[in-house]
Amino acid sequence: MTLLDVKNLTLQFDTDEGRITAVDDVSFEINPGEVLGLVGESGSGKSVTAKSLMHLNPPNAVYSPESSITLNLEDQSVDVLSLRQGSQDMQIVRGGSISMIFQEPMASFAPAITIGDQMVEQLVLHKAISEKEAMKISVEMLERVGISDPSERFNQYAFELSGGMRQRAMIAMALSTRPKLLIADEPTTALDVTIQAQVIDLMKDLVTDFNMGIIFITHDLGVIAQTADRVAVMYLGKLVEQGPVRNVIRDPAHPYTQGLLNALPKLEDLDAPLTPVPGDIPSPLERPPGCVFHTRCSAVEDRCSLSVPEMKALDRKRSAACFVAADQRGAA
Amino acid sequence: MYQFVRFAAVRASLAIFTLVLVSFIVFSLMELVPGDCAERYLAFKNSQGAQISIADIEAERVRLGLDKPYIQRWGTWIINAFQGEFGDSCILRLNISQLLGQKIWLSVGICLASLLVAYMIAVPVGIIAATSRNPYLNNGLRLVSYLGLALPNFLLALMIMLFSTVMFGDSLTGLFSKEYRDADWSYDRVMDFLSHVWLPVFILGWSATAFAIQTVRALMSDEISKLYVTAAAARGVSGSRLLLRYPARHALSPIINSLGFDLNRIFNELPIVALILTLTEAGSLLIESLARSNDQQLAGAIIFFLTGSIVAINFITDILLAVIDPRIRHSIMG
Ligand SMILES: Nc1ncnc2c1ncn2[C@@H]1O[C@H](COP(=O)(O)OP(=O)(O)OP(=O)(O)O)[C@@H](O)[C@H]1O
Ligand SMILES: [Mg+2]
Repeated sequence: MTLLDVKNLTLQFDTDEGRITAVDDVSFEINPGEVLGLVGESGSGKSVTAKSLMHLNPPNAVYSPESSITLNLEDQSVDVLSLRQGSQDMQIVRGGSISMIFQEPMASFAPAITIGDQMVEQLVLHKAISEKEAMKISVEMLERVGISDPSERFNQYAFELSGGMRQRAMIAMALSTRPKLLIADEPTTALDVTIQAQVIDLMKDLVTDFNMGIIFITHDLGVIAQTADRVAVMYLGKLVEQGPVRNVIRDPAHPYTQGLLNALPKLEDLDAPLTPVPGDIPSPLERPPGCVFHTRCSAVEDRCSLSVPEMKALDRKRSAACFVAADQRGAA
Repeated sequence: MYQFVRFAAVRASLAIFTLVLVSFIVFSLMELVPGDCAERYLAFKNSQGAQISIADIEAERVRLGLDKPYIQRWGTWIINAFQGEFGDSCILRLNISQLLGQKIWLSVGICLASLLVAYMIAVPVGIIAATSRNPYLNNGLRLVSYLGLALPNFLLALMIMLFSTVMFGDSLTGLFSKEYRDADWSYDRVMDFLSHVWLPVFILGWSATAFAIQTVRALMSDEISKLYVTAAAARGVSGSRLLLRYPARHALSPIINSLGFDLNRIFNELPIVALILTLTEAGSLLIESLARSNDQQLAGAIIFFLTGSIVAINFITDILLAVIDPRIRHSIMG
């Protein structure tokens, strides 16, 4: 059984400039024990997609009626988007079954509450345990993620910790309730490369131990190659390609994925020129008609600006939303 | 703990230094007023019919120590001031401390009560305004706020007095009824005082509340949109617990910070409101001494007192902030 099913997720924001589309008809799923990488340039809608999974977007967010997000737990299935604020099921989803690590670890701890207090609060909310037990679990968890002097850190505030420590504390807090799904939104971008590698290893270990699903958000395809089982590529609110990570990276089908890969430096040929995807990502207020990527695509054809390509299953368990790729690879 | 005491000591000496500086400015301003105490008193005598010679004025100058150098006189004044001794009033020839006595405490009390009322209303209302999405509530509050900001206190005071005079034949002025004005404190006098004092407190609190609501609402909206609130919601914290423990708790420091500023503004408005309501407290005495009788000694003493209260409240809020805000505590403790 899948853990999480996202179907036709469309999300718009009411803003002063009008209604902008941040996520457009996105569907994907994730299984227990699986790491799904979500990649895309800045502004492609990764974070808002992630927040939808816990119904966390601000009140100006509007979901289309077709959108559905289903979380399948052992004893029940939860329709996330229909949950009411503060309801019992909402509580189960937020911080219980799903935990999220936000993009900025500094800003996601309350500045005037100790790390320990915030950890204990979450544990007591979700588990039938006393504060004392919650404290013990929290300190163990801090130790588990490799924080030295965990009982001292427990009583400290976020601003007293270094960036790497904070990120570890964030992971410890997110995992302390043993969620079924962890959403990690660029958990390593704020860290330097060595610590980045440590944090990634740590997360991989914990996933195996806890057998949970992970959504790993990044714009770094290199990090995805190391961590994810499957990858989904987003562009301007659209999912353009998804499939097993090896297949997608060795042989990308969508021109956008190809572009992202060409933009990466290659260790075996450091002198090869980097070729970034040409042009700039359009403003969400002016989404191109047809395929959203056609304004920057190297393989663009006339039909691309006329109608929207659907997500089609291609070879090797992979699917892409591109007319050209579908023709070339003989979509099923 | 040692660092905290040191911090408090540093802040206290800073406060005292501020006060000394202010006293210098006040004293200098008093000096700038044309003529001095001796001249003024004798001119006053003259207007009452007494014969005055230049020699009389000189003798009076020496008696008051006005022939001493400026800095020396300031030094004496400030040393006495810190002991609560302000000398005699120029014109009334009465000891200023006795003259002001309870009037000062009444004034400070009225201002602090206005501040308290303002924040007791503004904190819950501001929090609700920042969280509510009800357009009627929000626009209603905005209107009340604008009224509070736009309607000058003295106008409000006049309107209430007019209304009350027409409706009840009582202008609601003063702090005491006639029979209690000079009586000793007793239960009845306290009740009489309370039945009068609400009006100046209300009028002074009126615009302070409007300001405070704006402040609290802006600070709350600011905090609510921060990531740590979303992050707490993502951990399953919800409802009033989420609101109070996260954004409200974190908006508290800047709110405390704004207290000193607001008290300052209330003090500024006190004299004019006091004048209209004919309150015989320090505010109206200040106007009286400045505008009518040009009594430098008295005016100086009152200004020194009011500034002293502002310096004191800023000192208290500084200490309070250090107690409740770990970031500030951390920067003190090193
Ligand atoms: N509350 C909001 N109101 C209006 N627009 C929003 C809101 N939140 C996000 N957006 C818009 O939605 C789009 C997607 O934003 P999102 O944060 O998901 O991008 P992202 O892929 O996470 O980018 P990054 O890599 O920079 O984190 C952006 O154009 C952003 O401006
Ligand atoms: Mg993001």
